[in-house]
Amino acid sequence: MPPAEATPAGEPPLPVGDQAEVVGRSPWYLAYLRLRRNKIAVAFGVLFVLIVLFCLAAPLWADHVAHTGPNQNHLTEQITIGGKKTFVVAPNGIPIGPGLHSKFLLGADDNGRDVMVRLMYGGRTSIYIGVMAALITTLLAVAVGLVSGYYGGFTDAALSRTMDLIWAFPVLLLGIALGTALSVGGLQIGPLSVPADSLWIPILIIGFVYVPYMARPIRGEVLSLREKEFVEAAVAQGKGPIRIMFTELLPNLISTIIVFFTLNIANNMLLEAALSFLGAGVKPPNASWGTMIADGEDRLVTAPHLTIVPGVMIVLTVLALNVFGDGLRDALNPRAKIRMEH
Amino acid sequence: MRKLRKVAVLSLASAVAAMVLVACGGGSSSSSSGTEGGEINGTLTSFPDYLDPQLSYTLEGWEGLWNVYVPLLTYQHGNGEETTKVVPGLAQSLPDISPDGKTYTLTLRKGVKYSDGTPVKASDFPYAIQRLFKLDSGGAPFFENIVGAEDYANSKADSISGIKADDATGKITIQLLKPSGTFENELGLMFAAPVPRSTPLDKDQTNTPPPSTGPYMITNVDAPNSYTLERNPQFKTLQAAGASDVPDGHVDKITVTQNKNQSAQATAIEQNQNDFMVDPPPADLLPQIESQYSDRFRFQDSINTYYFWMNMTKPPFNDVRVRQAVNYAIDPAALNRVFGGRLHPTQQILPPGMPGYQEYKLYPGPDLNKAKALLAQAHPSDMDITVWTDDEPDRKRIGAYYQDVLNQLGFHTTLKIIGGDVYFTTIGNLKTPDLDTGFADWFQDYPHPNDFFEPLLSGNSIHPTNNNNYSQTNIPELNKEIADLDTKQLSDPGVEDQYAALDKKYMEQAAWAPYGNEKFTTFTSDRINFDNVDFSLLFNLDYSSFQLKG
Repeated sequence: MPPAEATPAGEPPLPVGDQAEVVGRSPWYLAYLRLRRNKIAVAFGVLFVLIVLFCLAAPLWADHVAHTGPNQNHLTEQITIGGKKTFVVAPNGIPIGPGLHSKFLLGADDNGRDVMVRLMYGGRTSIYIGVMAALITTLLAVAVGLVSGYYGGFTDAALSRTMDLIWAFPVLLLGIALGTALSVGGLQIGPLSVPADSLWIPILIIGFVYVPYMARPIRGEVLSLREKEFVEAAVAQGKGPIRIMFTELLPNLISTIIVFFTLNIANNMLLEAALSFLGAGVKPPNASWGTMIADGEDRLVTAPHLTIVPGVMIVLTVLALNVFGDGLRDALNPRAKIRMEH
Repeated sequence: MRKLRKVAVLSLASAVAAMVLVACGGGSSSSSSGTEGGEINGTLTSFPDYLDPQLSYTLEGWEGLWNVYVPLLTYQHGNGEETTKVVPGLAQSLPDISPDGKTYTLTLRKGVKYSDGTPVKASDFPYAIQRLFKLDSGGAPFFENIVGAEDYANSKADSISGIKADDATGKITIQLLKPSGTFENELGLMFAAPVPRSTPLDKDQTNTPPPSTGPYMITNVDAPNSYTLERNPQFKTLQAAGASDVPDGHVDKITVTQNKNQSAQATAIEQNQNDFMVDPPPADLLPQIESQYSDRFRFQDSINTYYFWMNMTKPPFNDVRVRQAVNYAIDPAALNRVFGGRLHPTQQILPPGMPGYQEYKLYPGPDLNKAKALLAQAHPSDMDITVWTDDEPDRKRIGAYYQDVLNQLGFHTTLKIIGGDVYFTTIGNLKTPDLDTGFADWFQDYPHPNDFFEPLLSGNSIHPTNNNNYSQTNIPELNKEIADLDTKQLSDPGVEDQYAALDKKYMEQAAWAPYGNEKFTTFTSDRINFDNVDFSLLFNLDYSSFQLKG
């Protein structure tokens, strides 16, 4: 019996000879196999999962290890380090740095708040905003892309020009403008009322400003897909436009959407950090990695850990999502050239 | 009255000294050599509230406007305590005060012109006072004691009957309803600076400031980013009229720009890209600046009080026990750390250095248990409160600290952070929703304890807009005490003690939660003749003293 033919690492050996049998594999399984082969993408995917788990463990760390909340001030408290009492914040205002002490493992900030606890809670906020904003962007972009691409004509022109209008503004400037405008009175649209200090303000802003960046390539794909035979067949069968969009077009867009969604989370987290740093995102004293960097900005000389720690977390998370997203793109649609460009 | 005469004699002496200095080409209190002319740049963290002399009521505003608008009386230039002395400005001399203390007579200097060439007239003074009332200015309460002011404010009269101004002779007579121990100081405030009658009566002129009478004029305003001062070509008319207590400037142009990043401001000064900063360097850089740039950095005394206001008109702070609980819970030593050690801890209204200051402590602590016990007794009906502060870095931290303390007491708080340039006008507008409690500070307008009671704590000072009584404190018996004390001279026996007692009475009612008095700094670039830079106890940095090195 001839030896089994060598297969790429990670895939089961191909059956040969009399045992040869064609095994049907779904596109998803093939994508999974391709992704599994991309060790770097998998490693960064695991890193992202670890970061999420780290952030989800915030209450456990706060309650059982640090014994303090993310917004709790300890300006005049002392802790014992090496048998010696040390102020959490020295009388001249300089906070304690990182060290191997259960409380204040990553040091304290200007208000004597535990940086480790704030980092974990801040991560929850940043990731939550990233994911929820990506969901909003995706929902809106898919709706716009499908309707615009499928109907064409005036509908397409109107929606595309609207997208162009949003696209014309630099993302950060538009985010700052909206964030500043909504930071005083919040958002009031009919029965919908969002308080100014709600996390939903940055979520909605970020979710909104990225819509054209996803809607435009989706529209392009829909334009191409609607000329395919299977769409013509569906029309011939008497299917309505909505049904065609959801049963014929959307399944063919899923891989693109998944990749965009992943990359969009990374972009959203970066934008959240930038907006919060500039005071137009998450409102203090709530922790996010962006607000933590802003809080540490005035302590770059005497307490650089205040900016370095959340900065490193943003870099790691965004890097993890981008590399994993690229891997996912290669796995789902190796010929695609999907990028979040802005 | 005796004190007033002493001031007059001192003023005369200083006027003679200043004339000698002016004649020698100096003009400032220092004799260090430097060059005339040139341009310098300064930065501040929050743009002034207004650049209109009748409206501005922040230190940022007054610091810039002090050398632009000269009232009939003004404050001496120089350093330390001498800067609290009232001296003649546009008036020829200090006022003649009638024996009953109710009539003030002044005479305008002759031949003085505004920066646009318009002659300064005696009638410009009552016009400025009228503007205060038409603009609902925070400075209006200082002049409510003038006969007819109330009728004018209520639109029952076309002018203020208690002010007579004769443009031909320059004579100005002011009739008061009752004697005032502070009116001379109040005439020296920026609010009373004459402006031409072409200035709109009821419109903020921040973007097009009225022409100036001081050594500088405002030539460009890009609110809230920057404003520019340039030498007033007509200032020579004021000098020629003998106003020796108002020194000329040295540099030709001063551009003041807002920069929210205090580290960047300080670093720019270190690198000589920026020449001065209005606010102190951040605590992060303070030790390094203090040691490395001792030749161009120094701490400065300042008469001020930092406090948390609590709205006494509605729950939960309408209950004295709740306000006392907050006072027990606040830790001035903790807040001192936020200021990088620049705060003198306090729990009283009057700051050290102010007549009437006598140290005491009613709420020893911090004592969270006592605070919680008081709250339990009070059992307030509303525990959902909004905490207000502005977006300057240390104030955000103060807000975060205060919110945490209130949360520990069991309140459900929302922290509201708004721009420093609009903060005080926002919390000073009674229509602003959710005005519960928040950050405030107060720097003396003039060296009289009344300045910490009348505008900030008297029920008569509660105004719909530009309100400074943020707690909306209105305790009738204490209102009366403020009014009675205002009729007395500070030099009268026992008056300072009465102010000290008044301080205690307000703190027994826990009208505020005071926590500190801030020290300021002067930090300039290497281009500036540092020895020449003056710091006023009322207006902080004196821009007329800025001079480039020779």
